[in-house]
Amino acid sequence: FSLPFFPADEVIRKRLLIDGDGAGDDRRINLLVKSFIKWCNSGSQEEGYSQYQRMLSTLSQCEFSMGKTLLVYDMNLREMENYEKIYKEIEGSIAGAHEKIAECKKQILQAKRIRKNRQEYDALAKVIQHHPDRHETLKELEALGKELEHLSHIKESVEDKLELRRKQFHVLLSTIHELQQTLENDEKLSEVEEAQETSLEMDPKP
Amino acid sequence: MTIFSQSVSPCGKFLAAGNNYGQIAIFSLSAALSSEAKEESKKPVVTFQAHDGPVYSMVSTDRHLLSAGDGEVKAWLWAEILKKGCKEMWRRQPPYRTSLEVPEINALLLVPKENSLILAGGDCQLHTMDLETGAFTRALRGHTDYIHCLALRERSPEVLSGGEDGAVRLWDLRTAKEAQTIEVYKHEECSRPHNGRWIGCLATDSDWMVCGGGPALTLWHLRSSTPTTIFPMRAPQKHVTFYQDLILSAGQGHCINHWQLSGELKAQVPGSSPGLLSLSLNQQPAAPECKVLTAAGNSCRVDVFTNLGYRAFSLSF
Repeated sequence: FSLPFFPADEVIRKRLLIDGDGAGDDRRINLLVKSFIKWCNSGSQEEGYSQYQRMLSTLSQCEFSMGKTLLVYDMNLREMENYEKIYKEIEGSIAGAHEKIAECKKQILQAKRIRKNRQEYDALAKVIQHHPDRHETLKELEALGKELEHLSHIKESVEDKLELRRKQFHVLLSTIHELQQTLENDEKLSEVEEAQETSLEMDPKP
Repeated sequence: MTIFSQSVSPCGKFLAAGNNYGQIAIFSLSAALSSEAKEESKKPVVTFQAHDGPVYSMVSTDRHLLSAGDGEVKAWLWAEILKKGCKEMWRRQPPYRTSLEVPEINALLLVPKENSLILAGGDCQLHTMDLETGAFTRALRGHTDYIHCLALRERSPEVLSGGEDGAVRLWDLRTAKEAQTIEVYKHEECSRPHNGRWIGCLATDSDWMVCGGGPALTLWHLRSSTPTTIFPMRAPQKHVTFYQDLILSAGQGHCINHWQLSGELKAQVPGSSPGLLSLSLNQQPAAPECKVLTAAGNSCRVDVFTNLGYRAFSLSF
């Protein structure tokens, strides 16, 4: 006969899985049933008593085994709960790790940007270094300016001296000319006087 | 095969690559990066013939893929591009001075503030095209030889262009005039006359600009027009970009070089192509799982770097 709610092969499968080789509780229960029947049909009092004891021991063995299975079942349930808890924790930490990864990726991008900026700065700095320092160039410019001023002063003073000398020479030359003129005039005058005198001598008085 | 250009879709999940045969291939980055990626995920979802000549440059707006190469710029709708037999939405050609030879377009640049596209290439001019009306608004003249690359200076609406004539020119978009010129080859520290004076790649970070090509890869401070750091790389670099605190560059040679602004080489990551021509960083906010660096060049492969330190895998045309 087959139970109305369980398909026969399922039951057989389950029973085979649990206790296929027949060397366990199933066998014990079968033996108990057989020994119960034997005990009912037993003859002497002693045999019956020993049979009875034997049956009690088998029963207690069965109870013990059942108790063990119940405890194992309980333990499994609790293990399952424990695993569920750990599973949830791990899920949480995975989500946290994902967020951290995203955060770190952003930081990497930021760091790359900073590195790029630094390198651009370095590149420009190198070029700028090749040009001389602004302070020095300004100082050089100042020094050159001062020299220029100094030299132009000297030039001015030299030109003034030149002017003065020129004027002095001019005065000198004009004085010489005047003297020359005066001397020539005097010579001419004396020549004329001489000529007059000789003409008087040549021409005797009437 | 040579892959010249790459562009990421606005949703961040697809990558378009253009090659020298004029084809554009669309790869699905989300499929190739997913955990169930198979070999087919590394092949293009769709490939189509876009131009008659090589596709030198591509950019993406929030709805369109713009590609240019043989003198024309074409627009493709990203929403339709995965269907077979996709047709271009529109095609435009900037007003060229001579109609005999159509010069190629080497570089495209989007200016989001004024919703316009800048094209530059063989005719030595920068043309601005308004994306809404399709009209060509400005033609900036100044370069004496063809233009290789463009970069946008976000804060002030300025565009930098580098060309074969060895000069990097800064154009103010409001006045349509040249604001600054840096003739890289004239500076002794970075010029390498045996390589030529051409500027192959350009990138800017508002106050700083890095450029390379014939002359050595150099970091410039724009306001004072002084070269501050010279990166000791012998091979001419074809693509350079700023990324976080690094400068990534690639060119002849199969490695992507990671430089610090101080001039130190932080890392050299090998790729699978013998030379690299373009790098693309997928930083679209809509697809953070597809945040990769892709590199392509003188081969049919596009290397994908999920972590900048090593090549994860390669997509193949």
